[in-house]
Amino acid sequence: MSERRRVAITGMGTVNASTTGGTEAVAGALALGRSGIRPVTAFSVDGCPSRLAAPIADETLAALTDRDRARRFSRICQLAVVACELAVRDAGVAGGTGLGIVVGSEHGDFRSSEEFALGFLRGGATGLSPMIFPNTVMNTMASVAAIAVGAKAPSVTLNQATVAGDLAIARAVMLIESGRAEAVVAGGVDEICEVVYRRLAEMRVLSPMRGGGAEGCRPYDDAHNGPVLGEGATFLVLEDLQFARARGATILAEVIDAAWGNIPVAPHRAAPRRADHGSPVGRLLRRHRQARSGFRRCYGSGNGDPALDDWECALLARELDAGRAEVSALVPPVSLAPLFGQHGGLGALRVGAAALDASRGMGPVLVHGIARGGCRAALVVGPLASSAEP
Amino acid sequence: MTGIASDTRRIVVSGMGIVSPFGVGLKTFWTGLSAGTCAIKPATLVETEGFRSRIAAEVPADVVAGLAASPRRSRADRLALAAASLALADADLDGRDRRAAALVVGAVGGGMYEAEEWYWEEARSGRPSPKIRALRSILPDSHAETLGFRLGVDGPKETLVMACASGAATLALGADLLREGVVTAALCGGVDVLTRICFMGFNALRLLDPEPCRPFDRGRRGMSIGEGAAFLVLEDAERCRARGGRAYASLLGAGMTTDAHHVTAPHPDGEGMIRAMSLALQAARVAPREVGYVNAHGTGTPQNDRTEALALCRVFGEGRVLVSSTKSLVGHAMAAAGSVEAVATVLALQHGLLPPTANLMTADPEIPFDCIASEARPAAVAVALSNSFGFGGQNVSLVFGQSGS
Repeated sequence: MSERRRVAITGMGTVNASTTGGTEAVAGALALGRSGIRPVTAFSVDGCPSRLAAPIADETLAALTDRDRARRFSRICQLAVVACELAVRDAGVAGGTGLGIVVGSEHGDFRSSEEFALGFLRGGATGLSPMIFPNTVMNTMASVAAIAVGAKAPSVTLNQATVAGDLAIARAVMLIESGRAEAVVAGGVDEICEVVYRRLAEMRVLSPMRGGGAEGCRPYDDAHNGPVLGEGATFLVLEDLQFARARGATILAEVIDAAWGNIPVAPHRAAPRRADHGSPVGRLLRRHRQARSGFRRCYGSGNGDPALDDWECALLARELDAGRAEVSALVPPVSLAPLFGQHGGLGALRVGAAALDASRGMGPVLVHGIARGGCRAALVVGPLASSAEP
Repeated sequence: MTGIASDTRRIVVSGMGIVSPFGVGLKTFWTGLSAGTCAIKPATLVETEGFRSRIAAEVPADVVAGLAASPRRSRADRLALAAASLALADADLDGRDRRAAALVVGAVGGGMYEAEEWYWEEARSGRPSPKIRALRSILPDSHAETLGFRLGVDGPKETLVMACASGAATLALGADLLREGVVTAALCGGVDVLTRICFMGFNALRLLDPEPCRPFDRGRRGMSIGEGAAFLVLEDAERCRARGGRAYASLLGAGMTTDAHHVTAPHPDGEGMIRAMSLALQAARVAPREVGYVNAHGTGTPQNDRTEALALCRVFGEGRVLVSSTKSLVGHAMAAAGSVEAVATVLALQHGLLPPTANLMTADPEIPFDCIASEARPAAVAVALSNSFGFGGQNVSLVFGQSGS
């Protein structure tokens, strides 16, 4: 078997409630630490138990999208295309048969699905728009982004709650390791639309969840009472290290390890007392706990959902042996949800933040995520030199 | 070379399960395919008034009613649970291997069928409907959540939404998890059921034939929608042999490419399709002349069939391989199509009998292949290829070989 391919992070692009741009923009937003969460104004929230979100202003998106694309693409497709193009430009990577794309999304394009269905309900068969229908399939974001950046290697769309972005990046790592692509643009995207926001709020899965309290995103805090929705797209460029070096790319960090797994619990359930007995994520954490002096930082998927926050902390404490002084600072982990809101791009922002830490010499950094239903992902990111460690 | 996922680790198919418009199980499926029975009939699950096409290949109501899963689950979840459970039972993995297996599910519609019932009811009545519970399983990832929990799988779990290439992609990417040594077994497959949005959407695009679809026929006018679920257990060959498991066939290689050309139309030269087939053959270390059968994507739309034939000519040479489309028998099962057709391809290898293309009366001169019209063809084939192409320019080709290949 050939030597394992190593995977580098060479660029990033984002459009979210706090910032838009490449690596510098992400670094700036993280340094500033200003939350993009504010009252919803794009639609009426009268009678709705939730009123907050981390939305992108329409004028921000309009400034990033030309008139032709604004006409042809749905809003979520525009977000995906903008962020992918920013990431590719940031990394300086070219399109072609070696470039792949992996898009993670929690909800996809419900706005188009509703618009398409309303066409029928209002006008029957003749009221249907053939232009809108393709947007109802969740892989259309990846499709238009692949066309925009010329990605002709595999194009993969993953649907997953809470950890869509982390999972997309972990899968992208495997696409490179397995030789299916030289470089992959990977991350996540979601948008806030009224039908999804209102239904989630009515089902009391957004802050304030059952039990009440003040609305807000407070991960791992005693007063946490649910997530606040965000929107946006964040993509990283991952490359085969040899390929990146050969083209003279600026290497921000290396993905030292990546894995995803499942803790079998019922759909939509979190089980804070349930351990991870066998998934590859548990194995990854145990492997690195033994092999390293410890992670320098841990980013977690905690979004204020109390059961999920507690589950993540319990798992990490158990598997990282948080009683030890050098790792006790890792639990609870760092959450970016208060800055950007919960959406499919958040996992990619976590990995991006870890890459920025690594680019400043910090490492290794753990990026961890778990969703209700038990899907779990972890990535270890570090500076290039640290990859020589076991 | 980039794009080729290959090493020395051999992967076999050690279990299969399916729910198709013919019914439940491999035997029923193969009986229908080998007899050339067309399961495309008037649609009953969706309103058809005013649409160009009013037919579909549905899983019969009595078959769905007989499934073990609770009727409170979505139709798609019930089909998926039945097919995945059959595949696992067929593979006869022990508890530990089963628990550690990867779960890779291809899906598009999720629980949309039931969510549409809620939405339709509220929109038409103007009043809240108790059917709102359907929203809990509306997303495509609901199937993987249900399967992971019910089957007790704690390996890597993911949901691929890659339009009509989803089912085939689960096998390609599931195989990568085996090749990279992450797992020794993977439960892979797709599920989709007929939904109003899907039926209306393809009608709006005028991609549905008013008559049962006629892939490769000169008079073809589009596809016929189907539904179903098919799952395969992929396993490391050594592990399978060591535990005394049965290997139906080997998954020798898989190619995945993107056209990056158009959201709904294939690249006119079939460039992405050619690359997918070529990469799959290279990964399998198989020469085109060694391939005896292609289970084509073969939707029956004028453009898809013409482009696929062009790509087949480039890869294999004119008329150099036998081709058929099983979509003419069981319709186009969308996210499930790739795994349904993988099962068909593996069974064809096992039985030495190639399923036919139904409704093929007049060959299209632009498609210079023997497309096995109407009747199944006995043929001892050692290697076969299955194509799946989807919206978004997604191309997946799988190469299967006899288990001793």
